[in-house]
Amino acid sequence: MDVQLSDKSQVRLKGVRDGFWVTLDPSLPADYIQEELTRVFNQLQHLAFNSHVTLDMGGPEGRESIVEMLRAFLKSKFNVASVAVAPASPPPKEVPVNGEHGGDKSHKPDMSSVWMEHHSDALVIAGRVRSGQKITAQKHLVILGDVNPGSELIAGGDILIMGTLGGIALAGQPDNEAAIILAIGFKPIQIQIGGIIATEVPVSQRHTLEFARVDHGDIVVEDYIKTNPFGRLTWPEVR
Amino acid sequence: MDGKVIVITSGKGGVGKTTATACIGAALALENRQVAVVDMDIGLRNLDGGMGLENRIVFNVVDAAKGKCKIKQAAIKDRRIENLYLIPASQSDNKDALTPDIMVRLCKELRKEFDYVLLDCPAGIERGFENSVAPADEAVVVCTPEVSSVRDADRVIALLYARSITPRLIVNRIVPEMVENGDMLSHEDVVDVLSVELLGLVPLDNQVVISTNTGAPLVLQKDSEAGQSFRRIALRMEGQDIPIEIPQAQKSFWKKLGIIIGIGK
Repeated sequence: MDVQLSDKSQVRLKGVRDGFWVTLDPSLPADYIQEELTRVFNQLQHLAFNSHVTLDMGGPEGRESIVEMLRAFLKSKFNVASVAVAPASPPPKEVPVNGEHGGDKSHKPDMSSVWMEHHSDALVIAGRVRSGQKITAQKHLVILGDVNPGSELIAGGDILIMGTLGGIALAGQPDNEAAIILAIGFKPIQIQIGGIIATEVPVSQRHTLEFARVDHGDIVVEDYIKTNPFGRLTWPEVR
Repeated sequence: MDGKVIVITSGKGGVGKTTATACIGAALALENRQVAVVDMDIGLRNLDGGMGLENRIVFNVVDAAKGKCKIKQAAIKDRRIENLYLIPASQSDNKDALTPDIMVRLCKELRKEFDYVLLDCPAGIERGFENSVAPADEAVVVCTPEVSSVRDADRVIALLYARSITPRLIVNRIVPEMVENGDMLSHEDVVDVLSVELLGLVPLDNQVVISTNTGAPLVLQKDSEAGQSFRRIALRMEGQDIPIEIPQAQKSFWKKLGIIIGIGK
């Protein structure tokens, strides 16, 4: 996972390969820790569901009671799959954060090794998505087929539709505004990227490849072929 | 005899399910098949009125399903068409009077006596829908060329596929003039979205209203376009390879004249 919610509080959360790494100071009051955990996990929304959480409190010794309390709290409130305690060692290396937030891209030493390390996080669905159906993907969502009006797609990353989009598409949930929504035949009822919602999207009469992205806080829809948004990237990147 | 149970459904109300059930039932009976049409709209029965049999109801589908009467007692024979029987809905119960299991048991008995059992499903996707779909072998989805009807039909098609039933589609109440002017969805638009096998296209026909009020079978009226469309649909359900007829706009005398002298289209 590539979620990173950096904040200056004393409870910090990082996305690691198989879940979330939560760094916190166990000497803080339990109420405060719970309040801060609620705040950061609320931002994760559905990504927290069934995730594996590791609590880093500078070692497991003497922390059994607080760990037990936080484990019960996270499982009941956010439905996480497991809560483990980190040993007294540095946190694991983060999965490189990609897309536009990737920092300096021109000096990556060996991109092929990055791809080898990276798991594919795309949910690929073939077929027609019909009214009333809802598809949720933790990361990217690829639909090989049409998406009918009345259906709903939710993804943590991009939504790519090899067909007509006629329903509701929510990409980059909860807060990834670098995500895109791409479809051949762009006729959505509503789209959302990160926290930005666009209703009454003008219906495209053309059957061409179009995509929606966030530009200065607004959602814009453009011709994908003409814009070629990723053509200028110097390195192929993992999204 | 091991007949087929076919549910006629739509999701949205008022699209012509009951008319379609009555017409297809009558048309299949005219092909010498033993047909039972069952009104599943418990509490709001109206198939009996459409067939002109409302004053002959003694027992209903709830009585038959719960064993209060025999199937032969609940099945009312049509006055005009041989081999056509109606099992009416109960007006005083509600949809909870039946369950999917009870309906599966009832239809098992009905299969033994009829070639076709057509279930007129109520609008919605709740208990009435569940009761109607549970015993069905096949499904016919009726929709009109309107966005709301297509959306609801799409929802129902997904629910039918989820139950391993492959639905077929009837597009009802097509007004060819409006389609030509671009004011109504064409049948191609509807099929494009719903992506299921098309069973037939039925034009809007004033005769339907007259037939529903008088109880005279639409399929017996040679001048009714809708009635004739339903007869062709019934033949397709019988497995006959009949091409789909696309409703055409009636050209007025002056339009026809315009075409002849080359100034109209």
